[in-house]
Amino acid sequence: MVGMSVLWSAAALAARLNPLKRSVPVGTLLSGSALRTEKAVVRYGSHGKRMFIIKPSDYYDRRFLHLLKFYTLLTGIPVAIFITFVNVFIGEAELAEIPEGYEPDYWEYYKHPITRWIARNLLDDPAKDYEKMMALVHMEQEKAQMRLLQLEVRRHMRQKGDGPWFQHETLDKSLIDYEPKASPDN
Amino acid sequence: MKDHEPDAYPQPPKRTPVAEKETALPNPALIGSKLFYYSVDLPVTKFREIIDSIRGRNKYYYYHQNFRRVPDLTECVEGDYLCYYEAEMQWRRDFKVDQEIVKIMQERLRACQTREGPSYLQNCSNELKQFDEVAKAFDARYGDLGAFASGRRCLMKQKQRMLEQQQQA
Repeated sequence: MVGMSVLWSAAALAARLNPLKRSVPVGTLLSGSALRTEKAVVRYGSHGKRMFIIKPSDYYDRRFLHLLKFYTLLTGIPVAIFITFVNVFIGEAELAEIPEGYEPDYWEYYKHPITRWIARNLLDDPAKDYEKMMALVHMEQEKAQMRLLQLEVRRHMRQKGDGPWFQHETLDKSLIDYEPKASPDN
Repeated sequence: MKDHEPDAYPQPPKRTPVAEKETALPNPALIGSKLFYYSVDLPVTKFREIIDSIRGRNKYYYYHQNFRRVPDLTECVEGDYLCYYEAEMQWRRDFKVDQEIVKIMQERLRACQTREGPSYLQNCSNELKQFDEVAKAFDARYGDLGAFASGRRCLMKQKQRMLEQQQQA
């Protein structure tokens, strides 16, 4: 019986894979057997068969990258051109020894022309910045000294009592009525 | 017998002798060098000359600033914050200068190693020694001060160093 079923399935397989039969029989779409598709030898003049490739939408990603490129290059390209022209036509400074008796201006200590321009027009002289910071430090130092001095003075005035601080107003002595204790017999 | 035979030790030729071609085949090294010259070397040199001629019309210079020396942190009266500030700024400038010194020594050692190739350990012993000294000194002075390094902290490190020296001695 087993041998019969094996022979039967072998016969069915042979019948299906028969090369003398037609390639696409009618009932093959619904039959669960393996189909043998015939490969037709076709030579295309173009890039091959047009395929509709199903994939998720890349519209948003491409739109984002396009806009990113656009907005960075909108100012990026003029800035790059400007910097190129500055480097080609104006060029960087050369290092030299400070000549005798010459005091260079504070922007003449930088090499690149754009740095020099920024130092000359936008920023303050570094010596001026230094002096500003020194002024702040001096003010804070004076404040600290004053505070310490005030604490010292408070201590002295409280202890000794002969200074202007920590004086409390009392009544005038002439207003005191000594009459109840004026004579010893009251 | 002559006591001086000039042909025994001939003088080397003063100019490189022109090599005479012995084969009819073209020299690939010559072709390669000429190709490189005309395609890369010549355009680059011409471009550089053009740019230099444009730049050379208005030359201007930059200088290195010389700073005056101010009293150190050890010479400041206590509580004189202005003196502290000036000493701190001077310490920072000196720190930058020392960093640049270390970079220069590194550059020298690197150049020496590139020049000598595989035998650098033997041939650049001078540069190696100098770099070693400079790196050790920098480490001893500014070694583990960290990102918030200050003149005061460096002074404290120096004090620690001196205490250790005293203890060893």
